[in-house]
This record gives sequence, structure tokens and C-alpha cells, in this order.
Amino acid sequence: MRKGIITLAIIGFFSSCVSVKEYEKININDPDMSLADKKVEKFKTNFHVYREAAAGANGGKSGGGCGCN
Amino acid sequence: MIIGAFLFLSNIIAQEKTSKEYKKRVLETAEVDFISSYYSQDGNNASVTGGIGNEHLTDLASSITISLPITADDILTIEAGFSAYTSASSSNGNPFDISSASRNGGDDDDEYDDKRAASNTIGSPWVASSGASRSDVWSTVNVDYSHTSDDRNFTWNANASFASEYDYTSVGFGAGILTQFNEKNTSLGISGSVYLDTWDPVYPTELKSYNDVNGNLNLGFFNGITILNEIGNASTSWRPKNGFEKIQDKSRNSYSASVSFSQIISKNAQISIFADFVQQQGWLANPLQRVYFGDVANYYIGNASSISNYASSQNKDVFQLADDIERLPNSRFKIPIGMRLNYFINEMFVIRTYYRYYYDNWGISSHTASIELPIKISDKFTLYPSYRYYIQKAATYFAPFEQHLSTEKYYTSDFDLSEYNATQLGFGVSYTDIFTKSHLWKLGLKSVDLKLYQYKRNSGFNSGIVNIGFKFIMD
Repeated sequence: MRKGIITLAIIGFFSSCVSVKEYEKININDPDMSLADKKVEKFKTNFHVYREAAAGANGGKSGGGCGCN
Repeated sequence: MIIGAFLFLSNIIAQEKTSKEYKKRVLETAEVDFISSYYSQDGNNASVTGGIGNEHLTDLASSITISLPITADDILTIEAGFSAYTSASSSNGNPFDISSASRNGGDDDDEYDDKRAASNTIGSPWVASSGASRSDVWSTVNVDYSHTSDDRNFTWNANASFASEYDYTSVGFGAGILTQFNEKNTSLGISGSVYLDTWDPVYPTELKSYNDVNGNLNLGFFNGITILNEIGNASTSWRPKNGFEKIQDKSRNSYSASVSFSQIISKNAQISIFADFVQQQGWLANPLQRVYFGDVANYYIGNASSISNYASSQNKDVFQLADDIERLPNSRFKIPIGMRLNYFINEMFVIRTYYRYYYDNWGISSHTASIELPIKISDKFTLYPSYRYYIQKAATYFAPFEQHLSTEKYYTSDFDLSEYNATQLGFGVSYTDIFTKSHLWKLGLKSVDLKLYQYKRNSGFNSGIVNIGFKFIMD
């Protein structure tokens, strides 16, 4: 319950951030600002999934597809 | 009046048509991505040989991804790839052929029922053998279809995948939605996926053979082979736990739900928070990985004089017979929660950060943190130095070589499930040609990415990977 309230508060906090207009998003739209790994990093993510017990929450697979994690 | 109504409707249709004609396409033109990687690792805790042994492995992987704009709103993405590895650890599914031949081991990890003189039968966890399991090819195909609404604030997608290895097959399905609001400053996404995987189990040679001959150590693979006890005398007392039970449930199914939230914080910063909830069921252990118990007698095949030196990498000619394969619960629940925060410092520097906390009900928890600092040294070239730190607690069911007890229900000596920390240093360079001057057929080269990573655990394991990617766009 407490964690849920904190999560909602965080979402509410970020939602109340000042709105950035489309024409102001030049820097945000820079390819290096992407909120995801680059495609070229796919096999690196795969090796982490194979070699580490943890997986997921990185845009990669979180289970299934190989006899690993 | 009728003519007036017709003109009015024609005008509306014409306006709609015009607006559609000028609607910005979600994907302007077809894109093709070629990605290739070479991976190499070394270590002394091979899981196939019970937590000690040569972990050398190399892997060559490639994939091609084609993204096609079907309409202004729809994209079809097809991805195909393979990953081919050669592994010293896996090769020791059958370790008894390191002097170039195998016995009549049947359908263990060796494709061939070849024979050799029993007196020559040796093996070692420190030496790669020539068994069929020394190499494998993982191949995969993924198809994804996505549709975005006219106002570009809502996207849904659905995907299907198929992957295959020598001993493993996977079929996957997934779907998701993503909505943007607050002038596209905020986005929320929900997705789900199901993987229905199946083992075609490959067992360690001695365990599979023991099962095949119902424990008669004078038959089959064991015919003519001398099994040694701990002091090097011949013995026929070796018996794996419960006479070795093969796995019954060959399925491994994964069900996951993911949520994501992203927010533009300012003109120069944005953040995302995401979580997966993953339930896995079925055979979650690897049937090729051995376990040795500390409370039972040990038995060997090979050179008796090397037994006292078994755990040393100097041992090249004696192999300890397994007590069992690893056994793990048939259910696992995982929750990884991640966060990214990117900040645009100036025209030259960007900071990309990532953090993940992971928890599962096998007792594992971990923290992952990474930072990357893209440096634009010109319009075309960007450098990517990066650092990553990872730390995990061991699974409840993990213990090193000879540390488990035969009375335990679940056990593994796979050091990927042990407690350790790891650091990773990375460096990359990216070349971007916004005018796509270089061409391959009708494809213009948009960018080339090269990334290298060096990974090191505090347990001695280390690895390196080189990735290269080419992005083409259709003229």
C-alpha cells in the first residue's frame, strides 16, 4: 500500500513537470537520448541474460527463447 | 440542393484525402539493420562439470532486421538471426573422447556410436572434448506488426517468434499498447508475452548410459571400462542418486507482463521507469549440468594417479562420475524493476544512465547500474565510453563443487547462480551519414556502429564481446 502510494506520487510528480513543446524537443529527440539500448547492443544483452541470474527490465527478453535464464 | 450536398461531401472527402496524404508516416521508408557479434569467455567454474572446469566458449552471432512501412500508420518488422557457439564446458557432456574417439554411448551428447579401446578412456573437466555438444546453433525468427493512431498518441503491436537449438525449441507470442499524452511528454506502456519452450534433453554421458543399462556396469558404455574409487582401485559401486531419474516435464513456459512509464522532465532530460513480472514453469534446470555431492563416495574414469589432483587444471586425464544432474524447482517468479535517466549536457555530451533491481523467489537479488557518455566529436562520429557494475546474491539452491548434500531436494553448481560482482568496460564508435552517400543496391548506408565490451567477475570469469551494426534505409 505504502509502495503504491509512493509510486503514484512519483508518477504524479513527473506528470506535473513543465510541458515541453514539440518545437522545444530538439535535444530530447537526439538519437543518443533514446530511452532504450541501441540495436547493435542486442547480442551484448543476450550474453548478460545467459551469464547472469537477473534478466529483464531492459527492453530485452526476460525469459524464454533459449535454454538459458 | 443535391449538387450542393455532393459538392460539400466531395470537399470533406478531398480534405480528408489531403490530410491523409500529408500525414507524416510513422516510418518514412524501409529500414534494414545488420548486426553481428563475436563473443569469447574464459573461466574455471564450468557448470556442465559440476562447478569446476574449463569454461572457454566462443560465439558468433548475426541478425538481420527489416522494418517495412505497410501504410502511413503500420509497420511490419521481420527479424531473423543465428548464434553459433563452441564451448569447452558443453563439450564435456561426453568428456570421454578427448583422445579422439567415443565409446558406444548411444544418444547422449554424442551423435556417433563409435568405439575405442577401453584402456584409452580418459576425460577431464579441464580439457575440451570433441563430443557433439561442443557446439550448437541457436536460430530465431521474429515477426512484429504495429499500428499507430492518426494523432500518433496510441500504438499497439503484436508479435510472434520461433527459436531453435539442438536441445531446445521455443515458440513465443506477445502484444502491447503504448499511449502518449501531456503533449507527448508522458507515455505509458503495457505489454505481455508468452514463451512456450520445450527441452529435448541431453544428459551427461555416464548418467544417460547408467540409465540405459539399468545400472549394470558391465554393459553398454561401461563394457570394458574400469571405474576407479577414490584411492584408484577398480570398483563397481558407483551409483548416481536414485539410479538417475530422467526429467519428465520437458516444457519450460514463461509468462511475462511489463509496464513502462516515461516522462520528459525538461528540454534536456527524460526518464523512464519499467518493470517486468515473470512467471516461469516447467524444467528450469539444465539437464546437461552435473552435480557432485560431498557426502557420497567419488568414482572416476581415467588415470588413477591424477585423482588426487582432480580439481586442479593440471588434471588432463581423469574424470569424476556425476552423482546427479542439477535439480531446481519447477516454478520461478521474477521481478526486475529498471530506470533510465538521460541528460543532454550540450551539443557534444550526453549522459545515459541505467539502474535495475532484480528479485526472484529462488533467493536471488541483484543490482545493475551503468553509465554511458556519448561524445559527439563531429557531425558524423560519436564515441561511446561506458561502465557497468553488477552484483548478485546466490540462489538458495547453489553450492560449489562437492558442497551439496545428497539429502537436498534442489541443487545446482552453476556459478551463474552464485554470489558475485562484475564490472564491464565498454567503448564504441558510431558513424552516421545523414545523406546516405554509400549504397548497397537500393539501400543507402545510414549508420555504422561498433561497440566493444570487456566483462570481469570477481570469481575469475571474464569475457569480451565485439558488436558491429549497419543500418540501411531504402532510397
